[in-house]
Order: sequence, then C-alpha cells, then structure tokens
Amino acid sequence: MRKLLFVLVVASLLLTACGGGTKPAAGTGPVTITFMMWGAPEEQTVWQAVVDDFQAANPNIKVNVEVSDWDSYWTKLNTLFAGGTPPDVFAMDAPLYLDWQSRGALLNLQPYIDANPGFLDGFYPQTLTAYKLDDGYYGLPRDFNTITLFYNKDMFDAAGMAYPTADWTYDDLLAAAKQLTLDKDNDGKTDQYGLWTDTWDMELFWSELIWANGGEIISPDHTKTLIAEGGARDAWTYIDTLYKEGIMPTPATAGEYGGDLFQSGQAAMTTIGHWAVPGYVASNINFGVAPMPKGPKGAATSVNSAGFVVSKDSKNHDAAFAFIKFALSEAGQKRLAELGFSIPVLKSVAESDAYLKQAGSFDQKVFLDSLAFAHMKPVFKGYEEWAGVVGDGLIPVWDGEAELGPTLDEVVKSADEILANNK
Amino acid sequence: MEYGLKPLGREKLWLWLMLVPTIIGLAFGTIGSLLATLTLSFFDWDLIGAPTWAGFSNYVQLFQNESYMEAFSNTLKFSAMYVPGVVIISLLLAVLLNRKIRGVGIFRTIYFLPTVTSAVATALVWNMIYGRDTGILNFMLESVGLSPICWLCTNNAMLSVVIVNVWGAIGEGMIIFLAGLTAIPRDYYEAAELDGASGFQQFLRVTIPLVTPSIFFQTLIAAINAFQAYDYIYMLTRRSGGDSSVPVAVFSIYRNAFHFFRMGDASAQAIQLALLVAAFMGVMFWWERRYVVYE
Repeated sequence: MRKLLFVLVVASLLLTACGGGTKPAAGTGPVTITFMMWGAPEEQTVWQAVVDDFQAANPNIKVNVEVSDWDSYWTKLNTLFAGGTPPDVFAMDAPLYLDWQSRGALLNLQPYIDANPGFLDGFYPQTLTAYKLDDGYYGLPRDFNTITLFYNKDMFDAAGMAYPTADWTYDDLLAAAKQLTLDKDNDGKTDQYGLWTDTWDMELFWSELIWANGGEIISPDHTKTLIAEGGARDAWTYIDTLYKEGIMPTPATAGEYGGDLFQSGQAAMTTIGHWAVPGYVASNINFGVAPMPKGPKGAATSVNSAGFVVSKDSKNHDAAFAFIKFALSEAGQKRLAELGFSIPVLKSVAESDAYLKQAGSFDQKVFLDSLAFAHMKPVFKGYEEWAGVVGDGLIPVWDGEAELGPTLDEVVKSADEILANNK
Repeated sequence: MEYGLKPLGREKLWLWLMLVPTIIGLAFGTIGSLLATLTLSFFDWDLIGAPTWAGFSNYVQLFQNESYMEAFSNTLKFSAMYVPGVVIISLLLAVLLNRKIRGVGIFRTIYFLPTVTSAVATALVWNMIYGRDTGILNFMLESVGLSPICWLCTNNAMLSVVIVNVWGAIGEGMIIFLAGLTAIPRDYYEAAELDGASGFQQFLRVTIPLVTPSIFFQTLIAAINAFQAYDYIYMLTRRSGGDSSVPVAVFSIYRNAFHFFRMGDASAQAIQLALLVAAFMGVMFWWERRYVVYE
C-alpha cells in the first residue's frame, strides 16, 4: 500500500498546504526572495557568490539560493506551486518554458524590460528567441550551450590520424569513427568506440544531423512531427549505421559504462555541449573541440539555453527582477563564466578573457562561432512527453530489436497524438 | 468468531486512548488523501491554476490513453508472473528451511537479506549482473558457450525485472510460511508416516491444506505489492529523460501528476488501480471462505 499511499498523501498535502504564502512586501522594508535552480553542488558556491555581490549592492533584499539535482528540482517546483508557495525566481530550461508559461505560472517581464532601456542589447539574439512571445518575455536566458564535436587527441595520435577540422562532413566522421573503433585484445569485444553520443534526446546529435540533411523537427505551428520526412529520414539511417556497425555503443551497452564513454576514455569522439568540459578536464581527458560536421545541406548545430523566470504569484516582483538584472549584468555573468559549465549570454563577457581564458587546452571560441549556424532547440508545449515517445520509441531499433522504417512511422504517429493533446 | 474478553469500563477508555494516534493518522493521512484523490479525479488540474470540473472525462480518457493502457497492462503482466512466483518459491523455500539441517539460521538470513536491503542499492547490483557487455550473467552464459542476452533490452526487460522483484520478496514470504509451517503439529506427519505416506504426499495432503491461511495471506500481500511495484522496476529500466522501458501503473501516475501536470488523470489512474486491488481482494476473500482451513 505504501507507494500508492505516497501518491495519495502527496495529493492531500498539496491541498492542505494551500494558504501558507509569503508575506507581502511592505514598502521599503527588507524583503527576502527565494531563488531555486537545478545544478551540481559546486554551482551552489558560485551562485552564492553572485548572491553575496547582489546583497552587498542591495542591502534591502535577501536572497535564499536552493540548488537541487535535475529530477528533484522539477518535482519540488511542482509541489511548491501546487501548495501556493512558489519560489520568487527559478531556473527554466528553454524547451519546458512554454509548458510553464501556458499554465499561467510566470510573470510577464516586459514592463521591467521596458523600464530598463537597452537591457537586452548585449545579449546574443539567438538566446532570446526561445523566450520571446507575442506579448513579451516571460523569462530571460542566463547562459547557453551550442553542441560541438569533442575528440580525444591521444586516441587520434595513437592511430596516426589528423584531428577533426571545421571542414569535416558526416562522411568524414563515419570514416574516422570506424577507424577508431578498436578491439585491442582481440576478444571479440570493442575496447574503444569511435563515437559515443546520446540519441535519446534530440539535443546532442539527432537534431543537428536532421538539420544538416535539410530536414526539420516540428512544423512551425507545433502540430506535426517532421522527423521522418525528406532529409530527416537519412539522418536516422546514418544513426542506424553507427549502431549496426558497432561504431557507437548501443544504449543498453552505454548504460553499463555509466553513460559518458568519452569521459571514461572508451570513445574517441563525442558530440556534447560546454557543460561537459569541467568533467572532462577533471577526468584528465586530453581533448580538442571542432564544430559539428557538415551535412549535404551544410553546417548545423543546436543552441539551447537555461533561463530565469519569476512566479506570477510572487509577492516580490520588483526584488525578483532586480536580482535577475544583477545576475545578467557583466559582474554576474563573469562569475558564471568562471564556473565553466555554460556560456554567458552577454556577448561582452563571452568574448572576454573571463570566458575565453578558461582551463583546458582547446579553443573556447568554437562554441561561440557555432552560433553562426545554430538552430534553436525547439520549444513547444508537451515537450517532455513528446521527447519521451520519440526517444523511447527508437531504443528497440538501436538495441537491434526492431526495424528502423516501421518503428519511425509508429513513433511519429504517437508523437503527433501528443502534440494534438497539448494544443 | 469471538476471541478473548470484552473490554469493560476503564479498559474501554484506555482502548480508545491508545487508538487515537492511529485513528488520527488514518483519518488525515489515509482517508483524507483518499478523498482528496477521489475528488481530484473529477477535476482537471495542472497544479497551478484553479481546478476545473471534468466530470467523468478523466475516467473515460483512461481507456483511450495508450500510454496508460500500456502501463496498466504491464502491471497486470507483471502481477501475473510475480504473484505465483513469490508464493510458490517462498513456500518451497520455507519447507526446505523448516528442517533440522546445519546452518539453517544462516540460510534463512541469506534469503531474508534482500528484504532489509535498500532497493536502490540492490537494483544497482542487479544492473551489473544483467549488463550485456560486462554483466556477470552473460559472462557465465558465454563461458559455457551460449550467446549473450540483452537482459534489460525492451524484449526481455519485463522478465528480468520480475526475477529481481521475486528475488527481493521471497525472504518476507519465507518468514510468513515458516510461521505457518511451525504451527502444524508434528503428530499429523507421524500419523501420515504410519499410514505409509511419502514425503511428497505428506507435503500435498498435510502441509498444503494446513498452510492455506498463510498462502491466502501471502497471495494477498504479493498482489498488493505487485500492483504497486515501482522501485526495482524503475531503477532497472529507467532511461534518460526520466522515462522507463517497462512503465507500470504507479510510474504512470507519478509521471502524469508531476511531469505532465495532469493531476486529474493521475488521480483517476490511482483510483482505478485502487478499485482493481479492492476487486482482487474481494475475490480473494471469497476464495478464503471456500478453501482456507483454519485450525
């Protein structure tokens, strides 16, 4: 009975918890706001530094920072919202933004932006698109990530191969990956894979490949899933080849190695974002970075951002925006750059030493230059459910249990049903 | 049936006083949340806005919701394998360990260990056992010349999680059956032996009938656990994005409520699951009246 009860108890708690609420801000008196985000424990330290700077400049506002891991973050957030005590400011992942905005949870920040002329001028425009709606911004980006090709220099050197360049095509990637897939002790099992990447979510590999093949992910009105049409189909065939030829470990195999085979030194290449850099540096991987390869329809990569949003029901809208404004100022963004996970949204900071002169013997500029051919990771309602249907639906194909063609058609059908349910 | 003495006077007061904490817990914790869930199942609620009346639409939609139907049928399939597995294996185990053999305490402890170990930790160990490339099970298969199996791929995942769940539950079942077995008087077996009954006949004609109360109880517990199974299954079959390759009903409830913002649907699913458990219990109690022998 315990597990069912858990659900029931939570449900009843949600009902009884209503009516707590924070104290309304009384004029100029000191206020306390809560800032919630997902992240690694070391991010708490950096954000605490941002908060300390902010509090020194605004003695009337106190900020409580709460950092949770990704999964518990969203559960916690939902529970707080249902209980009527949402955090004042919280972190948002761009693809989930519309789900939250459409539920009426978020404050329209446009009046604040209007009151601060020039506030958005220094931002990379690509990072703003995801948050811009007809009646203004209900959120603002705080950092972004483009996906690039990471390669293990030691493995390329050992094979006497030239490092990937900006001119690489997906054919070059396939050929090199094939050559770098090795069974060193001849026991019939691969010891070094040519490539490892995640093909469950679109961000790391398959959206880039679809765009480079001239395909699309979803129709502009968010009613049709386009991942099986035209050039997009070739992208899936390419991935199927990677798995079938054993160049890339299947999801079942990759899971055994703790996920990231590039970090564990078992894959020669991967496609991932800047957030992986601190981990790779800590694991002493001798790596370089190149832009994503080109496809028949040119270069393409994906850009996605994490952002800030303010709860509509917060009693401290002004203080909340003041904090966001500070975190998105040069001082705040510089602190963020020091963290080394993501790329600052302020052009002036991203192109300064704070970002460009980080630890690691690779060219930080590749991530910025990739913006020139980056597509925004799609933002639409029902994203999480849709991504689950597509990602899960194709796993049997990658694990060698189903045929690509019919499975893909089946997946698109279910994905379209989800889009219809989330209109 | 009347047992013991009736409480009188002051005893009655104490009786109620002692029951108060439990009653409060039941009223607010269990019944309160049950009513809340029941109410919510008739509303659409995204956890933020005000709930809006939905009538029976959440229940109607249950049967058109492919992913819930898949999760629900997974729960049924799981239960169909798990319940007989747990009852039969733990009964056999209890019979084996009900004899005077050396180290019986050690064996009982070993079989009981999974019950007191954290499900998350043991699920991680099972992940290592089931691994396709590095798994211990496939290593053993290959060393005798068989080809490796992808235990946790979509086709085999259900069977693999049933094995782990049964393994995790037989310890508890064994204890219940051991208690039932020790209650059977020795003279019944002596009488059977004098009549020339073999060991197997004794098991069939003496043990089984006299242990039916335990079988009844264990089946009931196993079925309730099966309908609510979640932890091992999720740990073994989770995927990136918080999904699972063997989604079960409880997983669907959790996901609809806290990931897809559909409290109403989730509540309707919870109520439907609870009704099913209740129906199953009804059948079991009917069965009890006909077949269960109490001394």
